[in-house]
Amino acid sequence: MLTKLAGGRLFDPANGRHGEIADIWLRDDRIAADPGPGATPDAVHDVTGKVVMAGAIDIHSHIAGGKVNLARLLMGEEHDRHRFAGHACGCDRIGGDRIGGGSGIATPSTHTTGARYIEMGFTAAFEPAMLGSNARHAHLEMSDIPYIDTGGYLVLGNDDFLLDLIATNAGQAAVNDYVAWMLTATQSLAVKVVNPGGINAFKFNARSLDLDEGGPYYGVTPRSVLTVLARAVYELGLPHPLHVHGCNLGVPGNVATTLDTIQAASGLPMHMTHIQFHSYDTAGDRKFSSGAAALAEAVNRTPTLSVDIGQVMFGQTVTASADTMAQRHTAPLAHPRKWLAMDIECDAGCGVVPFRYRDTSYVNALQWAIGLELFLLLDDPWRVFLTTDHPNGAPFTFYPELIRLLMDRDYRLAKLAEIHPDAPAHTTLGSIAREYTLAEIAIMTRAAPARILGLADRGHLAPGASADVTVYSDVPDRRAMFERPDLVFKSGRLVVRDGVLVAMAQGCTHVVRPGFDDLIERRIARHFDERLGLPIKHFRIQDAEIRHGAGPQLHPCRRREVP
Amino acid sequence: MLRPMLGRIVAKIASVLESFGLTSLIPLRRLGAMIFHPDTLCPFCGLGCGDIGIDRDQSGIAPRPSGCPQADRLFRRPIAVPTDARLGGAAISVDDAIAEAVRLLGSSRAPLIAGLAADVEGVLAALSLAERIGATVDHERSDALFRNLAILRRFGWSVTTLAELRNRCDLVLVVGPDPAVAFPRLWERWVVPEPAFVPGNGRSVVFLGGEPLPETVRCLGARVETSGLDTGTQTDLATLVGGLRTALAGRLTAGDPMAVLAARLRSARYAVVVWAAGLFEGPQPDLIVEGLVRLIRTVDGTTRCAGLPLSGADNLIGANQACGWRTGFPLRTGFDGGGPLHDPDRFDWRRRLRDADVTLWISAFRPDAPPLVTGGKVIMLAPPEAMVTPEPALFIPVGTPGIDHPGDVFRADSVVALHAGALIDRGLPSVVNVIGRMLAALDQTVKTREAAGC
Repeated sequence: MLTKLAGGRLFDPANGRHGEIADIWLRDDRIAADPGPGATPDAVHDVTGKVVMAGAIDIHSHIAGGKVNLARLLMGEEHDRHRFAGHACGCDRIGGDRIGGGSGIATPSTHTTGARYIEMGFTAAFEPAMLGSNARHAHLEMSDIPYIDTGGYLVLGNDDFLLDLIATNAGQAAVNDYVAWMLTATQSLAVKVVNPGGINAFKFNARSLDLDEGGPYYGVTPRSVLTVLARAVYELGLPHPLHVHGCNLGVPGNVATTLDTIQAASGLPMHMTHIQFHSYDTAGDRKFSSGAAALAEAVNRTPTLSVDIGQVMFGQTVTASADTMAQRHTAPLAHPRKWLAMDIECDAGCGVVPFRYRDTSYVNALQWAIGLELFLLLDDPWRVFLTTDHPNGAPFTFYPELIRLLMDRDYRLAKLAEIHPDAPAHTTLGSIAREYTLAEIAIMTRAAPARILGLADRGHLAPGASADVTVYSDVPDRRAMFERPDLVFKSGRLVVRDGVLVAMAQGCTHVVRPGFDDLIERRIARHFDERLGLPIKHFRIQDAEIRHGAGPQLHPCRRREVP
Repeated sequence: MLRPMLGRIVAKIASVLESFGLTSLIPLRRLGAMIFHPDTLCPFCGLGCGDIGIDRDQSGIAPRPSGCPQADRLFRRPIAVPTDARLGGAAISVDDAIAEAVRLLGSSRAPLIAGLAADVEGVLAALSLAERIGATVDHERSDALFRNLAILRRFGWSVTTLAELRNRCDLVLVVGPDPAVAFPRLWERWVVPEPAFVPGNGRSVVFLGGEPLPETVRCLGARVETSGLDTGTQTDLATLVGGLRTALAGRLTAGDPMAVLAARLRSARYAVVVWAAGLFEGPQPDLIVEGLVRLIRTVDGTTRCAGLPLSGADNLIGANQACGWRTGFPLRTGFDGGGPLHDPDRFDWRRRLRDADVTLWISAFRPDAPPLVTGGKVIMLAPPEAMVTPEPALFIPVGTPGIDHPGDVFRADSVVALHAGALIDRGLPSVVNVIGRMLAALDQTVKTREAAGC
């Protein structure tokens, strides 16, 4: 199958193209070089005047696994109200692949998740909090999400095995082997740490744990968990730096902890996630103000750091997190008034708290403003990513609205005038003139995510890349533009036309597999036998289990030494 | 002389191959050797025991005594079984049976897909079929689950998992009948081992509103602590739970046995409240669950306390999880023109069975099914050993996940999914294979109709 997209304006920052007019050729599932005169494409799409980008990539979105499925159960009212009939490739007759059916907005079911992403031109989304003990479940769910590529970030740093390694001074090499073994056994793409040591401390009844406070059982500080893991990730040569959900999420004054956390990395690469929730200061009568300016400045001058925002948007959603400690503090604010918490398998935990962000609430309005402030004060779009921490700040379907807020200053100021009247005084948002360009949006949602995750053949439009392509009409209303692309191709197949699903496609699962010294396996096997009551062989996820036998897509790791 | 030695060597090779998941490469039946499969995963009750020893010879498979009556019974399968389907009791080919099933399901006006005892892939296939034909789905054992889900969905909860129980818990409070009735090795595997994080390694088990089984008493020994309460069957569970909550609120006198138990909970470091809601008797069992969840929240405010609601034989939890991610709703969900629709009362399979004109009953794990009283037709997918009365309209034999083919099942604590392997090849298709063929045939029917201009 040879397809030609003729005459579009290419926004392909990975290849230095910022609006140049050129044709794009798709041969089967790959982007191909111009085959020259005489080529006879099977399909030609005239995209003159249209904006052509690679498929967008969401690096942090809770789309699969135990806590997401629990959140669906808890959000019954929303699912009752938002039901979607599956339909057969654009028609509603019986027969063919049924697509897009399901329910939910903040916690959409699997087919609905795939449908909503691909309709917006996203061709990949990554589950950023996969517990080892729940990894098989997460993979089963991810393989049931059509259209998009997926992968999971393995949560470490509260598991008793790792804390024991650190507490007993087993050494960095043993930690590295354990991390590599776990990544391999759970078919993961990256390592994430959530409230380092804090979830474990909560199991021993500690209700808070500061960066330099020793945990109640192991005496290990969050700082040491963080540095040991950041170093393991670096030395194993994983493409993605340690993905950090820091201490004190949501606590006023936590910007100080966040700045300390940057210091703790001491030069090692680190990705700090949903930093909006970690950027709060204590100025003003309400002791709650924006710390965005200070944090943005620190990020701007630390080139080894990347961040995503976790933007809050107003409306009903649900917060789902492994951070049981933080979620217990949020629980009294639940809306509707119900929540759940879980301690999990000497591994981590999960907390699910429904939440409604209101523009009439001073705190929520300020959270919204702080997120935007961060986006606009961070000057390198290669190191900042578009996220709402779906569904924690807002459902991912708010991305087009968020893009408009970033690209359209007048619109932003109009919205700022609608929120709680005291909030604007405690942020610098009103004074920021910056508007994101299309090129910057293309960096932030395509080229940079692919680069930070090590996906060499995603996020760009050069020959050899996966034929994941989105075509938009260049209209002044950027929300309308990004909400409803004209054409979306997944692996070379036209799956969305004028915002409507027209065919089915399946993505793949991305993983890394750094090698390890298998001596570590004896110690891990003992842990499984004595603590987890499960022979180790039943824990390992085989390649054949991934995507109904299709297996994962591997990405290379390059071992390196800390200088 | 040579033959037993050969047998041992072959068994060794087999166990090495098996550790790589390559059981199908073992052409041993011809050699007549006994093969031992150590550490086999058991998919039946929901505890996910991974240490069952299975012997396999020419006649079939048999488990070594595991201490679990379910595993000991259900892992015993003969190799020679009828692989034909049955239409009205008469043998027909599986192909013909699938065509007949498609004819029945395709023209059904009120179809039901229930039993739903299959591995995760089988359940997902059943959901695809349900969406296609507009059926409702439910699991045979969902009653126990919905007693808990009613509270989870309305109120939330605070719970834990089996490895936390094993390593962190210093006080187990068992509410209601001994869960070992349904989960035979619960105490042996998750409470008897020394906890890793309890100072002094000691722990106590208190039974409230139920008596431990004799084998539980033997297993737990001195760990069983007497509460001093009359926990006989005379006192109903809701009253007992209410009494304990009153005691926790400080409204009972200090010497009252319930106040003593409340103090024990408050002074424990990590108490786990275990219940199997399926075993609760009396009206409104969900109110007992609600009382327990509130009680746990109270204690968890100052020390740690979590629940362990157990339900989940025959991959009940996996069926509910898969239904949750595919539709956004738990079991007892159907499909109308507007998408999936959930109704925990109306779509209970016992109610639906009465008005369903065609029921597809799936029971892949065990060779028994409940009597299905319905005016409609029953299509049954079950192991060939199944003794079914009355004879269903159509019977299609299927393999058991973890015996005839690999498959994923969820543990009763709902977090851990496990991949059960294959032990023997008896020529039996999996549920996903049979339903996949039904779906393909439905497509074909539609294409034929379209071609004919219908």
